[in-house]
Amino acid sequence: MRTIILGNGLAGTMTGRTLRELDSSAEITIISQEKYPYYPRPNLIDFLAGELPLNRLFAFPPGWAEKQKLEIRLGKEVTGLDVDEMAVEIDRKERLKADQMVLATGASPLLPAIPGIDRKGVFCLRTIDDAVSLLEFLSTGPEVVVLGGGLLGLEIARAIHKRGLKQVTVVEYFNRLLPRQLDETGAGLLQSQLEKMGLKFLLGKEAVEISGQEAVSLIKFKDGSQLTAGAVVVASGIRPRLELAVKAGLASNRGVVVDDFLQTSRPGIYAAGDVAEHRGRIYGLIPAAFDQARTVAYNLAGQIKKYEGSIPANTLKVAGLFLTSAGLISPEGEGFEVLSKLDKENGLYKKLILKDGQLVGAIWLGSKKGSQEITRLVQAQKNPGPYKSDLLADDFDFSRLNSLY
Amino acid sequence: MEKWECTACGYIYDPDVGDPEHDIPPGTPFESLPDDWVCPQCGVSKEFFQKMD
Repeated sequence: MRTIILGNGLAGTMTGRTLRELDSSAEITIISQEKYPYYPRPNLIDFLAGELPLNRLFAFPPGWAEKQKLEIRLGKEVTGLDVDEMAVEIDRKERLKADQMVLATGASPLLPAIPGIDRKGVFCLRTIDDAVSLLEFLSTGPEVVVLGGGLLGLEIARAIHKRGLKQVTVVEYFNRLLPRQLDETGAGLLQSQLEKMGLKFLLGKEAVEISGQEAVSLIKFKDGSQLTAGAVVVASGIRPRLELAVKAGLASNRGVVVDDFLQTSRPGIYAAGDVAEHRGRIYGLIPAAFDQARTVAYNLAGQIKKYEGSIPANTLKVAGLFLTSAGLISPEGEGFEVLSKLDKENGLYKKLILKDGQLVGAIWLGSKKGSQEITRLVQAQKNPGPYKSDLLADDFDFSRLNSLY
Repeated sequence: MEKWECTACGYIYDPDVGDPEHDIPPGTPFESLPDDWVCPQCGVSKEFFQKMD
């Protein structure tokens, strides 16, 4: 049995590794456009902050792939996908046939289609090469503007500031930070904490042009205002890399459409990670890519496994600030019960969202005590029963929740 | 001894178990792991771990 995996990011690598665990004789080939062995993308943040040297970005020691009997072909572009013959074309010349395939081609940064987006001094952060060229440019000490106040944008801003650049401004289209993880109260609290650290914020602004002589010098906004910028880092979302799948005729929407077995419209071809759209959803999160990779590996090995979706749960660490956001955080409609507690002085905010007695969402900001237990409760959609009224208490003994399982 | 959780993928480092695959014997506290130790599940560096309560 030969399996070809397209992509050696987290989804591709973990699919290969898990398949090897399940089947010691499977022939596994991973084809990678990037020339580097697997590295987890969060490490790029530490690299940018100057906390992790380049040679430590990689997850596995040299020789790992050989030991795992994974054939990993780096720096190769898949130029064609033949779903009828179950074959790929590499670099327009080589043809490889397989018995089954996995699309783990990931995503690219979503760049707004505005004038000047290709100007010198405009960057994104997705790959090692992106990080290296951004760092090189930052050495001149420009005023930095980060477009996007989501998880990645805040992490990038924190890292650049930590590296010693003092003028760092985050621009967000919505009127609050982390619109997907926080409600207004939580976002306001997080913002004031980050401001204390020296970051600046501009909310509710839509960039319409990046202008300058040659390199960027100014960002113009829809409302007519503008901001000086020596460097721009775009962190406004991802775009699944679908081109191959679309050309090959696989069903796709925003991502490659997969069923509950993570199989695409062509039996024997699976998709996992940022490229996959499951029940209308593209997660773009490590834990989900991980779940999907494992599920795909089991199915490849003939041990049929179903994927029911992942409940997003994020623990974000911005310069020592803890934020956990799990499940539904801004409920719309009726039948929800919301419990919350705000302690501005100590930077604490806790919110629980219940439906029919079950915990369906939570925000835990400024405290990590209880965050893991609460996340697990949300993921299991548990009814906190007798403990409901105690959960927001700072001195609650969270180990007591174990009795609910 | 305290357990630590990977904030990227959720892997839990349990000192009582160690990380035998990477020659970390049982009984090794998180703080004593070598600097170049990475999450055995997803590969992020030690900085991404947080102590569990």
